Amino acid sequence: MQKLIGILENKMAPIAMKLDGNRYVTAIKDGFFGVMSLLIIGSFFLLLGNLPINGYSQFMSSLLGKNWSDYFTVPYDVTMNIMTLYVVIGMSRSLARTYKLDSISAITSALVAFLLLTPMLELKDGVFGIPVANLGPSGLFLGMITAVVSVEIVRFIDKKGWKIKLPDTVPENVSRSFSALIPTLFVIIVFNLIRIIFSFTKFASVQEFIYHYLQVPLLSLGSTLPATILITLFEAILWFFGIHGSNVVSGIMKPIWLALTAENAEAFGAGQPLPHIINFQFYSNFMKVGGFGGTFGLALLMLIFSKSSHYKTLGKLAIGPGIFNINEPIIFGLPIVLNPMMIIPFIFTPIILAVVAYFAMATGLVPYTNGTNIPWTTPPIIAGFLVSGWKGALLNIVQILISMVVYFPFFKSADRMAKKQEEEQSAA
Amino acid sequence: MKTIMLVCAAGMSTSLLVTKMKNAAQSKNIEADIFAVSASEVDDILEKKKVDVLLLGPQVKFMKSQFESKLADKNIKIDAINMQYYGMMNGEKVLEQAINLIEDK
Repeated sequence: MQKLIGILENKMAPIAMKLDGNRYVTAIKDGFFGVMSLLIIGSFFLLLGNLPINGYSQFMSSLLGKNWSDYFTVPYDVTMNIMTLYVVIGMSRSLARTYKLDSISAITSALVAFLLLTPMLELKDGVFGIPVANLGPSGLFLGMITAVVSVEIVRFIDKKGWKIKLPDTVPENVSRSFSALIPTLFVIIVFNLIRIIFSFTKFASVQEFIYHYLQVPLLSLGSTLPATILITLFEAILWFFGIHGSNVVSGIMKPIWLALTAENAEAFGAGQPLPHIINFQFYSNFMKVGGFGGTFGLALLMLIFSKSSHYKTLGKLAIGPGIFNINEPIIFGLPIVLNPMMIIPFIFTPIILAVVAYFAMATGLVPYTNGTNIPWTTPPIIAGFLVSGWKGALLNIVQILISMVVYFPFFKSADRMAKKQEEEQSAA
Repeated sequence: MKTIMLVCAAGMSTSLLVTKMKNAAQSKNIEADIFAVSASEVDDILEKKKVDVLLLGPQVKFMKSQFESKLADKNIKIDAINMQYYGMMNGEKVLEQAINLIEDK
Protein backbone atom coordinates (compact mmCIF):
# COMPACT_ATOMS: atom_id res chain seq x y z
CA MET A 1 0.00 0.00 0.00
CA GLN A 2 2.70 2.48 1.01
CA LYS A 3 4.57 1.69 -2.19
CA LEU A 4 1.50 2.20 -4.35
CA ILE A 5 0.81 5.53 -2.66
CA GLY A 6 4.42 6.55 -3.25
CA ILE A 7 4.14 5.79 -6.95
CA LEU A 8 0.86 7.65 -7.27
CA GLU A 9 2.25 10.61 -5.36
CA ASN A 10 5.11 10.87 -7.83
CA LYS A 11 2.60 10.76 -10.67
CA MET A 12 0.21 13.34 -9.21
CA ALA A 13 2.75 16.02 -8.36
CA PRO A 14 3.73 16.74 -11.97
CA ILE A 15 0.06 16.92 -13.03
CA ALA A 16 -0.71 19.40 -10.29
CA MET A 17 2.41 21.37 -11.14
CA LYS A 18 1.47 21.54 -14.80
CA LEU A 19 -2.06 22.69 -14.04
CA ASP A 20 -1.05 25.05 -11.29
CA GLY A 21 2.05 26.49 -12.92
CA ASN A 22 0.50 26.93 -16.35
CA ARG A 23 0.79 30.61 -17.22
CA TYR A 24 -2.72 30.85 -18.65
CA VAL A 25 -4.25 29.17 -15.60
CA THR A 26 -2.22 31.56 -13.44
CA ALA A 27 -3.52 34.46 -15.49
CA ILE A 28 -7.11 33.29 -15.04
CA LYS A 29 -6.57 32.92 -11.29
CA ASP A 30 -4.91 36.33 -10.98
CA GLY A 31 -7.53 37.95 -13.18
CA PHE A 32 -10.41 36.63 -11.14
CA PHE A 33 -8.65 37.20 -7.84
CA GLY A 34 -8.35 40.85 -8.81
CA VAL A 35 -12.04 41.28 -9.67
CA MET A 36 -13.35 39.25 -6.75
CA SER A 37 -13.77 42.27 -4.48
CA LEU A 38 -15.70 44.13 -7.18
CA LEU A 39 -17.99 41.14 -7.71
CA ILE A 40 -18.62 40.80 -3.98
CA ILE A 41 -19.37 44.49 -3.43
CA GLY A 42 -21.41 44.82 -6.62
CA SER A 43 -23.58 41.83 -5.86
CA PHE A 44 -24.34 43.12 -2.36
CA PHE A 45 -25.65 46.32 -3.91
CA LEU A 46 -27.82 44.17 -6.14
CA LEU A 47 -29.11 42.27 -3.11
CA LEU A 48 -29.91 45.51 -1.25
CA GLY A 49 -31.87 46.73 -4.24
CA ASN A 50 -33.89 43.52 -4.41
CA LEU A 51 -34.36 42.18 -0.89
CA PRO A 52 -37.09 39.54 -1.16
CA ILE A 53 -39.08 40.90 1.76
CA ASN A 54 -42.73 41.87 1.45
CA GLY A 55 -43.20 45.61 1.57
CA TYR A 56 -39.47 46.33 1.26
CA SER A 57 -39.83 47.99 -2.12
CA GLN A 58 -42.72 50.22 -0.97
CA PHE A 59 -40.84 51.12 2.20
CA MET A 60 -37.71 52.11 0.30
CA SER A 61 -39.57 54.20 -2.29
CA SER A 62 -41.39 56.08 0.47
CA LEU A 63 -38.01 56.71 2.06
CA LEU A 64 -35.83 57.52 -0.96
CA GLY A 65 -38.25 58.37 -3.77
CA LYS A 66 -39.43 56.27 -6.68
CA ASN A 67 -36.01 56.04 -8.34
CA TRP A 68 -34.59 54.47 -5.18
CA SER A 69 -33.51 51.24 -6.82
CA ASP A 70 -31.11 53.14 -9.11
CA TYR A 71 -29.12 54.03 -6.02
CA PHE A 72 -28.25 50.36 -5.76
CA THR A 73 -28.34 49.07 -9.33
CA VAL A 74 -25.82 51.55 -10.76
CA PRO A 75 -22.97 50.37 -8.49
CA TYR A 76 -23.93 46.82 -9.47
CA ASP A 77 -24.06 47.67 -13.17
CA VAL A 78 -20.56 49.17 -13.20
CA THR A 79 -18.99 46.34 -11.19
CA MET A 80 -20.38 42.85 -11.52
CA ASN A 81 -22.42 43.56 -14.62
CA ILE A 82 -19.35 44.61 -16.62
CA MET A 83 -17.02 42.10 -14.99
CA THR A 84 -15.37 41.11 -18.26
CA LEU A 85 -13.64 44.49 -18.61
CA TYR A 86 -11.98 43.99 -15.24
CA VAL A 87 -11.10 40.37 -15.97
CA VAL A 88 -9.38 41.44 -19.20
CA ILE A 89 -7.30 43.99 -17.26
CA GLY A 90 -6.37 41.49 -14.55
CA MET A 91 -5.48 38.67 -16.92
CA SER A 92 -3.41 40.79 -19.30
CA ARG A 93 -1.50 42.31 -16.39
CA SER A 94 -0.74 38.87 -15.01
CA LEU A 95 0.49 37.61 -18.38
CA ALA A 96 2.57 40.76 -18.89
CA ARG A 97 4.26 40.08 -15.57
CA THR A 98 4.95 36.47 -16.48
CA TYR A 99 6.52 37.57 -19.76
CA LYS A 100 8.17 40.64 -18.21
CA LEU A 101 6.45 43.01 -20.63
CA ASP A 102 5.37 46.59 -20.00
CA SER A 103 2.05 46.03 -18.23
CA ILE A 104 0.32 49.23 -19.32
CA SER A 105 0.78 48.51 -23.02
CA ALA A 106 -0.29 44.90 -22.50
CA ILE A 107 -3.44 46.01 -20.68
CA THR A 108 -4.38 48.66 -23.25
CA SER A 109 -3.76 46.25 -26.14
CA ALA A 110 -5.96 43.62 -24.52
CA LEU A 111 -8.76 46.11 -23.83
CA VAL A 112 -8.61 47.39 -27.40
CA ALA A 113 -8.74 43.85 -28.75
CA PHE A 114 -11.73 42.98 -26.59
CA LEU A 115 -13.62 46.16 -27.49
CA LEU A 116 -12.90 45.65 -31.20
CA LEU A 117 -14.71 42.32 -31.06
CA THR A 118 -17.55 43.58 -28.88
CA PRO A 119 -20.67 44.47 -30.84
CA MET A 120 -21.89 48.06 -30.56
CA LEU A 121 -25.33 49.50 -31.07
CA GLU A 122 -26.28 52.59 -33.00
CA LEU A 123 -29.01 54.49 -31.22
CA LYS A 124 -30.94 57.24 -32.93
CA ASP A 125 -29.20 60.43 -34.08
CA GLY A 126 -25.88 58.68 -34.61
CA VAL A 127 -25.32 58.03 -30.90
CA PHE A 128 -23.28 54.87 -30.42
CA GLY A 129 -23.20 52.62 -27.39
CA ILE A 130 -21.89 49.33 -26.14
CA PRO A 131 -24.70 47.37 -24.48
CA VAL A 132 -23.74 46.77 -20.86
CA ALA A 133 -24.56 43.10 -21.29
CA ASN A 134 -21.76 42.72 -23.86
CA LEU A 135 -19.21 43.64 -21.21
CA GLY A 136 -20.77 41.32 -18.67
CA PRO A 137 -20.83 37.55 -18.24
CA SER A 138 -21.90 36.90 -21.85
CA GLY A 139 -18.63 38.42 -23.09
CA LEU A 140 -16.53 36.66 -20.47
CA PHE A 141 -14.97 33.91 -22.57
CA LEU A 142 -14.32 36.25 -25.46
CA GLY A 143 -12.60 38.60 -23.02
CA MET A 144 -10.40 35.84 -21.64
CA ILE A 145 -9.39 34.70 -25.13
CA THR A 146 -8.65 38.21 -26.41
CA ALA A 147 -6.56 38.96 -23.31
CA VAL A 148 -4.39 35.91 -23.97
CA VAL A 149 -4.08 36.37 -27.75
CA SER A 150 -3.34 40.09 -27.64
CA VAL A 151 -0.63 39.75 -24.98
CA GLU A 152 0.86 36.90 -27.02
CA ILE A 153 1.02 39.22 -30.04
CA VAL A 154 2.70 41.92 -27.97
CA ARG A 155 5.17 39.34 -26.69
CA PHE A 156 5.86 38.00 -30.18
CA ILE A 157 6.72 41.46 -31.47
CA ASP A 158 8.76 42.25 -28.39
CA LYS A 159 10.75 39.05 -28.97
CA LYS A 160 11.35 39.89 -32.63
CA GLY A 161 12.62 43.27 -31.49
CA TRP A 162 10.35 45.20 -33.83
CA LYS A 163 10.08 48.59 -32.28
CA ILE A 164 10.76 52.22 -33.00
CA LYS A 165 14.21 52.88 -31.64
CA LEU A 166 15.10 56.39 -30.54
CA PRO A 167 18.57 57.71 -29.66
CA ASP A 168 19.71 57.28 -26.04
CA THR A 169 19.39 60.98 -25.42
CA VAL A 170 15.59 60.75 -25.55
CA PRO A 171 14.09 60.42 -22.06
CA GLU A 172 13.04 56.88 -21.19
CA ASN A 173 9.34 57.67 -20.77
CA VAL A 174 9.17 59.22 -24.22
CA SER A 175 10.88 56.30 -25.90
CA ARG A 176 8.65 53.89 -24.02
CA SER A 177 5.53 55.49 -25.42
CA PHE A 178 6.97 55.03 -28.91
CA SER A 179 8.07 51.47 -28.35
CA ALA A 180 4.48 50.51 -27.51
CA LEU A 181 3.26 51.79 -30.87
CA ILE A 182 4.17 48.82 -33.05
CA PRO A 183 2.81 46.01 -30.85
CA THR A 184 -0.46 47.91 -30.26
CA LEU A 185 -0.78 48.62 -33.97
CA PHE A 186 -0.37 44.92 -34.74
CA VAL A 187 -2.97 43.96 -32.15
CA ILE A 188 -5.43 46.42 -33.65
CA ILE A 189 -4.80 45.24 -37.23
CA VAL A 190 -5.19 41.56 -36.33
CA PHE A 191 -8.35 41.99 -34.27
CA ASN A 192 -9.90 44.45 -36.69
CA LEU A 193 -9.38 41.91 -39.47
CA ILE A 194 -11.06 39.23 -37.35
CA ARG A 195 -13.94 41.61 -36.73
CA ILE A 196 -14.34 42.36 -40.44
CA ILE A 197 -14.20 38.71 -41.46
CA PHE A 198 -16.88 37.80 -38.94
CA SER A 199 -19.14 40.61 -40.06
CA PHE A 200 -19.60 38.66 -43.31
CA THR A 201 -20.63 35.44 -41.55
CA LYS A 202 -24.03 34.61 -40.17
CA PHE A 203 -22.82 35.35 -36.65
CA ALA A 204 -22.11 39.00 -37.43
CA SER A 205 -19.87 39.23 -34.37
CA VAL A 206 -17.12 37.19 -32.77
CA GLN A 207 -18.73 37.64 -29.40
CA GLU A 208 -21.85 35.87 -30.59
CA PHE A 209 -19.80 33.08 -32.13
CA ILE A 210 -17.72 32.44 -29.00
CA TYR A 211 -20.78 32.71 -26.84
CA HIS A 212 -22.73 30.10 -28.79
CA TYR A 213 -19.98 27.64 -29.60
CA LEU A 214 -17.77 27.85 -26.52
CA GLN A 215 -19.37 29.59 -23.59
CA VAL A 216 -22.87 28.12 -23.71
CA PRO A 217 -21.64 24.50 -24.08
CA LEU A 218 -19.05 24.93 -21.30
CA LEU A 219 -21.54 26.62 -18.99
CA SER A 220 -24.22 24.01 -19.54
CA LEU A 221 -21.68 21.26 -18.95
CA GLY A 222 -20.35 23.01 -15.83
CA SER A 223 -23.81 23.41 -14.41
CA THR A 224 -24.69 19.70 -14.50
CA LEU A 225 -24.61 17.52 -11.41
CA PRO A 226 -22.47 14.70 -12.94
CA ALA A 227 -19.75 17.16 -14.03
CA THR A 228 -19.77 18.69 -10.56
CA ILE A 229 -19.39 15.27 -8.93
CA LEU A 230 -16.53 14.38 -11.26
CA ILE A 231 -14.71 17.61 -10.44
CA THR A 232 -15.23 16.98 -6.73
CA LEU A 233 -13.73 13.54 -7.10
CA PHE A 234 -10.65 14.94 -8.83
CA GLU A 235 -10.30 17.64 -6.18
CA ALA A 236 -10.55 15.08 -3.37
CA ILE A 237 -7.87 12.88 -4.94
CA LEU A 238 -5.49 15.84 -5.24
CA TRP A 239 -6.07 16.73 -1.58
CA PHE A 240 -5.46 13.10 -0.61
CA PHE A 241 -1.97 13.47 -2.01
CA GLY A 242 -1.49 16.69 -0.07
CA ILE A 243 -1.90 18.92 -3.12
CA HIS A 244 -4.11 21.99 -2.80
CA GLY A 245 -6.87 20.50 -4.95
CA SER A 246 -9.24 23.42 -4.64
CA ASN A 247 -6.62 25.83 -5.91
CA VAL A 248 -5.90 23.64 -8.92
CA VAL A 249 -9.56 23.10 -9.77
CA SER A 250 -10.62 26.72 -9.29
CA GLY A 251 -8.11 27.92 -11.88
CA ILE A 252 -10.16 26.09 -14.46
CA MET A 253 -13.66 26.15 -13.00
CA LYS A 254 -13.88 29.66 -11.55
CA PRO A 255 -14.68 31.40 -14.88
CA ILE A 256 -17.49 28.92 -15.48
CA TRP A 257 -18.91 29.04 -11.96
CA LEU A 258 -18.67 32.81 -11.71
CA ALA A 259 -20.32 33.29 -15.10
CA LEU A 260 -23.16 31.08 -13.85
CA THR A 261 -23.37 33.18 -10.68
CA ALA A 262 -23.42 36.39 -12.70
CA GLU A 263 -26.23 35.06 -14.91
CA ASN A 264 -28.26 34.33 -11.79
CA ALA A 265 -27.52 37.86 -10.55
CA GLU A 266 -28.67 39.33 -13.88
CA ALA A 267 -31.94 37.41 -13.68
CA PHE A 268 -32.37 38.30 -10.00
CA GLY A 269 -31.93 42.00 -10.76
CA ALA A 270 -34.45 41.78 -13.59
CA GLY A 271 -36.95 39.90 -11.45
CA GLN A 272 -36.86 36.86 -13.72
CA PRO A 273 -36.64 33.20 -12.61
CA LEU A 274 -33.09 32.21 -11.65
CA PRO A 275 -31.52 29.97 -14.34
CA HIS A 276 -28.83 27.92 -12.58
CA ILE A 277 -28.67 25.64 -9.54
CA ILE A 278 -24.93 25.03 -9.73
CA ASN A 279 -22.63 28.04 -9.62
CA PHE A 280 -19.83 29.44 -7.49
CA GLN A 281 -22.01 29.80 -4.37
CA PHE A 282 -23.45 26.30 -4.75
CA TYR A 283 -19.90 24.97 -4.86
CA SER A 284 -18.38 27.08 -2.08
CA ASN A 285 -21.34 27.40 0.29
CA PHE A 286 -23.43 24.27 -0.22
CA MET A 287 -20.65 21.74 -0.92
CA LYS A 288 -17.60 23.02 0.94
CA VAL A 289 -19.37 23.49 4.27
CA GLY A 290 -16.41 24.08 6.59
CA GLY A 291 -13.91 23.64 3.75
CA PHE A 292 -13.46 21.02 1.04
CA GLY A 293 -14.78 17.66 2.20
CA GLY A 294 -17.60 19.32 4.15
CA THR A 295 -15.45 19.02 7.26
CA PHE A 296 -17.42 21.38 9.51
CA GLY A 297 -19.30 18.38 10.88
CA LEU A 298 -16.02 16.57 11.48
CA ALA A 299 -14.61 19.54 13.39
CA LEU A 300 -17.72 19.53 15.59
CA LEU A 301 -17.38 15.76 16.17
CA MET A 302 -13.78 16.20 17.30
CA LEU A 303 -14.71 19.08 19.55
CA ILE A 304 -17.56 17.22 21.26
CA PHE A 305 -16.75 13.52 21.21
CA SER A 306 -12.95 13.15 21.26
CA LYS A 307 -11.50 10.78 23.84
CA SER A 308 -7.88 11.03 22.69
CA SER A 309 -5.90 14.16 23.43
CA HIS A 310 -4.71 14.37 19.80
CA TYR A 311 -8.25 14.80 18.45
CA LYS A 312 -9.33 16.98 21.37
CA THR A 313 -6.50 19.42 20.60
CA LEU A 314 -7.18 19.25 16.89
CA GLY A 315 -10.90 19.86 17.39
CA LYS A 316 -10.21 23.06 19.34
CA LEU A 317 -7.70 24.12 16.71
CA ALA A 318 -9.90 23.31 13.71
CA ILE A 319 -13.21 24.81 14.75
CA GLY A 320 -12.12 28.46 14.50
CA PRO A 321 -10.80 28.37 10.93
CA GLY A 322 -13.57 25.85 10.10
CA ILE A 323 -16.24 28.48 10.75
CA PHE A 324 -14.67 30.38 7.84
CA ASN A 325 -14.44 27.26 5.64
CA ILE A 326 -10.69 26.88 6.14
CA ASN A 327 -9.71 23.34 7.02
CA GLU A 328 -5.98 22.87 6.54
CA PRO A 329 -5.59 21.90 10.22
CA ILE A 330 -7.91 18.93 9.61
CA ILE A 331 -6.43 17.97 6.25
CA PHE A 332 -2.84 17.95 7.49
CA GLY A 333 -3.29 17.50 11.23
CA LEU A 334 -5.77 14.63 11.35
CA PRO A 335 -4.43 13.91 8.72
CA ILE A 336 -6.65 13.22 5.74
CA VAL A 337 -3.61 13.29 3.44
CA LEU A 338 -2.47 9.75 2.59
CA ASN A 339 -4.95 8.35 5.10
CA PRO A 340 -6.72 5.50 3.29
CA MET A 341 -9.52 5.36 5.86
CA MET A 342 -10.42 9.04 6.11
CA ILE A 343 -10.38 9.53 2.36
CA ILE A 344 -13.68 7.61 2.14
CA PRO A 345 -15.87 10.14 4.00
CA PHE A 346 -13.73 12.96 2.60
CA ILE A 347 -14.81 11.98 -0.92
CA PHE A 348 -18.39 11.03 -0.15
CA THR A 349 -19.42 13.91 2.10
CA PRO A 350 -19.10 16.71 -0.50
CA ILE A 351 -20.77 14.52 -3.11
CA ILE A 352 -23.68 13.72 -0.77
CA LEU A 353 -23.95 17.40 0.18
CA ALA A 354 -24.02 18.34 -3.51
CA VAL A 355 -26.74 15.82 -4.31
CA VAL A 356 -28.85 16.86 -1.33
CA ALA A 357 -28.55 20.57 -2.13
CA TYR A 358 -29.18 19.96 -5.83
CA PHE A 359 -32.41 18.07 -5.26
CA ALA A 360 -33.53 20.43 -2.52
CA MET A 361 -33.28 23.22 -5.07
CA ALA A 362 -34.53 21.27 -8.08
CA THR A 363 -37.70 20.27 -6.23
CA GLY A 364 -38.29 23.82 -5.06
CA LEU A 365 -37.75 23.13 -1.34
CA VAL A 366 -34.91 25.67 -1.25
CA PRO A 367 -34.58 28.66 -3.61
CA TYR A 368 -31.73 28.72 -6.14
CA THR A 369 -28.76 30.90 -5.12
CA ASN A 370 -29.62 34.50 -5.99
CA GLY A 371 -26.29 35.50 -7.56
CA THR A 372 -24.97 37.37 -4.54
CA ASN A 373 -21.27 36.66 -4.79
CA ILE A 374 -20.48 36.21 -1.12
CA PRO A 375 -16.85 35.43 -0.23
CA TRP A 376 -16.17 31.70 0.06
CA THR A 377 -15.06 32.32 3.65
CA THR A 378 -18.60 33.33 4.70
CA PRO A 379 -19.55 31.06 7.62
CA PRO A 380 -22.08 28.30 6.88
CA ILE A 381 -25.73 29.06 7.81
CA ILE A 382 -25.08 32.82 7.36
CA ALA A 383 -23.92 31.94 3.84
CA GLY A 384 -27.02 29.85 3.18
CA PHE A 385 -29.20 32.70 4.41
CA LEU A 386 -27.56 35.33 2.22
CA VAL A 387 -27.80 33.36 -1.03
CA SER A 388 -31.03 31.40 -0.57
CA GLY A 389 -32.91 32.93 2.35
CA TRP A 390 -33.88 31.20 5.59
CA LYS A 391 -34.47 27.93 3.77
CA GLY A 392 -30.84 28.13 2.60
CA ALA A 393 -29.72 28.56 6.22
CA LEU A 394 -31.79 25.53 7.17
CA LEU A 395 -30.22 23.55 4.32
CA ASN A 396 -26.76 24.40 5.70
CA ILE A 397 -27.80 23.12 9.14
CA VAL A 398 -29.12 19.88 7.64
CA GLN A 399 -25.87 19.54 5.67
CA ILE A 400 -23.75 19.92 8.80
CA LEU A 401 -25.80 17.18 10.48
CA ILE A 402 -25.38 14.93 7.43
CA SER A 403 -21.62 15.46 7.41
CA MET A 404 -21.49 14.57 11.11
CA VAL A 405 -23.30 11.32 10.42
CA VAL A 406 -21.07 10.38 7.48
CA TYR A 407 -17.82 11.16 9.32
CA PHE A 408 -18.91 9.69 12.65
CA PRO A 409 -17.89 5.98 12.27
CA PHE A 410 -14.54 6.92 10.71
CA PHE A 411 -13.84 9.53 13.34
CA LYS A 412 -14.81 7.13 16.11
CA SER A 413 -12.43 4.41 15.02
CA ALA A 414 -9.57 6.86 14.39
CA ASP A 415 -10.14 8.40 17.82
CA ARG A 416 -10.17 4.96 19.46
CA MET A 417 -6.87 4.06 17.82
CA ALA A 418 -5.27 7.33 18.87
CA LYS A 419 -6.50 6.86 22.42
CA LYS A 420 -5.04 3.36 22.55
CA GLN A 421 -1.73 4.62 21.21
CA GLU A 422 -1.60 7.41 23.77
CA GLU A 423 -2.25 4.94 26.60
CA GLU A 424 0.48 2.63 25.37
CA GLN A 425 2.90 5.52 25.16
CA SER A 426 2.20 6.75 28.67
CA ALA A 427 2.45 3.19 30.00
CA ALA A 428 5.82 2.63 28.35
CA MET B 1 17.70 38.91 12.55
CA LYS B 2 16.41 35.90 10.69
CA THR B 3 13.92 36.28 7.88
CA ILE B 4 11.56 33.35 7.45
CA MET B 5 9.09 33.27 4.58
CA LEU B 6 6.23 30.77 4.55
CA VAL B 7 4.63 30.01 1.20
CA CYS B 8 1.20 28.50 0.65
CA ALA B 9 -1.60 28.59 -1.90
CA ALA B 10 -3.57 31.62 -0.76
CA GLY B 11 -1.74 32.62 2.41
CA MET B 12 -4.79 32.11 4.62
CA SER B 13 -4.19 29.11 6.83
CA THR B 14 -0.46 29.75 6.88
CA SER B 15 -0.95 33.15 8.49
CA LEU B 16 -2.34 31.25 11.48
CA LEU B 17 0.90 29.34 11.76
CA VAL B 18 2.87 32.58 11.47
CA THR B 19 1.22 33.93 14.62
CA LYS B 20 2.14 30.75 16.49
CA MET B 21 5.72 30.91 15.24
CA LYS B 22 6.06 34.54 16.27
CA ASN B 23 4.90 33.66 19.77
CA ALA B 24 7.40 30.81 19.90
CA ALA B 25 10.20 33.11 18.74
CA GLN B 26 9.30 35.69 21.34
CA SER B 27 9.30 33.25 24.22
CA LYS B 28 12.66 31.92 23.09
CA ASN B 29 14.12 35.40 22.58
CA ILE B 30 14.86 34.77 18.93
CA GLU B 31 14.79 37.81 16.69
CA ALA B 32 12.97 36.79 13.58
CA ASP B 33 10.88 38.33 10.82
CA ILE B 34 8.25 35.75 9.94
CA PHE B 35 5.58 36.21 7.29
CA ALA B 36 3.37 34.25 4.90
CA VAL B 37 2.81 34.87 1.19
CA SER B 38 1.01 33.11 -1.63
CA ALA B 39 3.07 31.22 -4.19
CA SER B 40 2.48 33.82 -6.91
CA GLU B 41 3.89 36.62 -4.74
CA VAL B 42 7.25 34.98 -4.07
CA ASP B 43 9.14 36.59 -6.97
CA ASP B 44 8.03 40.10 -6.05
CA ILE B 45 8.96 39.71 -2.40
CA LEU B 46 12.38 38.29 -3.19
CA GLU B 47 13.17 41.32 -5.34
CA LYS B 48 12.50 43.63 -2.42
CA LYS B 49 13.65 41.65 0.53
CA LYS B 50 16.43 39.37 1.65
CA VAL B 51 15.07 36.09 2.88
CA ASP B 52 17.05 33.45 4.78
CA VAL B 53 14.71 30.54 4.52
CA LEU B 54 11.65 29.67 2.46
CA LEU B 55 9.28 27.14 3.96
CA LEU B 56 6.59 25.59 1.78
CA GLY B 57 3.21 24.64 3.19
CA PRO B 58 2.48 20.95 2.63
CA GLN B 59 -0.28 21.80 0.14
CA VAL B 60 2.26 23.36 -2.21
CA LYS B 61 5.09 20.94 -1.43
CA PHE B 62 5.03 19.92 -5.08
CA MET B 63 6.52 23.29 -6.00
CA LYS B 64 9.72 22.58 -4.09
CA SER B 65 11.86 21.50 -7.03
CA GLN B 66 10.53 24.44 -9.04
CA PHE B 67 11.67 26.92 -6.38
CA GLU B 68 14.96 25.13 -5.86
CA SER B 69 15.98 25.56 -9.47
CA LYS B 70 14.66 29.11 -9.62
CA LEU B 71 16.49 30.26 -6.49
CA ALA B 72 19.62 28.19 -6.94
CA ASP B 73 21.91 31.24 -7.03
CA LYS B 74 20.33 33.09 -4.13
CA ASN B 75 21.56 31.18 -1.10
CA ILE B 76 18.09 30.67 0.31
CA LYS B 77 17.31 27.46 2.14
CA ILE B 78 14.14 25.77 0.93
CA ASP B 79 12.15 23.03 2.56
CA ALA B 80 8.59 21.82 3.01
CA ILE B 81 6.96 22.09 6.41
CA ASN B 82 6.29 18.80 8.13
CA MET B 83 2.63 18.02 7.46
CA GLN B 84 1.65 17.12 11.01
CA TYR B 85 3.36 20.16 12.52
CA TYR B 86 1.56 22.28 9.96
CA GLY B 87 -1.82 20.71 10.65
CA MET B 88 -1.46 20.99 14.42
CA MET B 89 -0.16 24.55 13.95
CA ASN B 90 2.91 23.70 16.00
CA GLY B 91 4.77 27.02 15.76
CA GLU B 92 7.62 25.91 17.98
CA LYS B 93 8.55 22.89 15.86
CA VAL B 94 8.32 24.76 12.57
CA LEU B 95 10.46 27.58 13.97
CA GLU B 96 12.98 24.98 15.06
CA GLN B 97 13.00 23.56 11.53
CA ALA B 98 13.61 27.03 10.06
CA ILE B 99 16.45 27.83 12.49
CA ASN B 100 18.11 24.49 11.82
CA LEU B 101 17.98 25.13 8.10
CA ILE B 102 19.52 28.59 8.46
CA GLU B 103 22.32 27.47 10.76
CA ASP B 104 23.18 24.65 8.43
CA LYS B 105 24.29 27.24 5.84
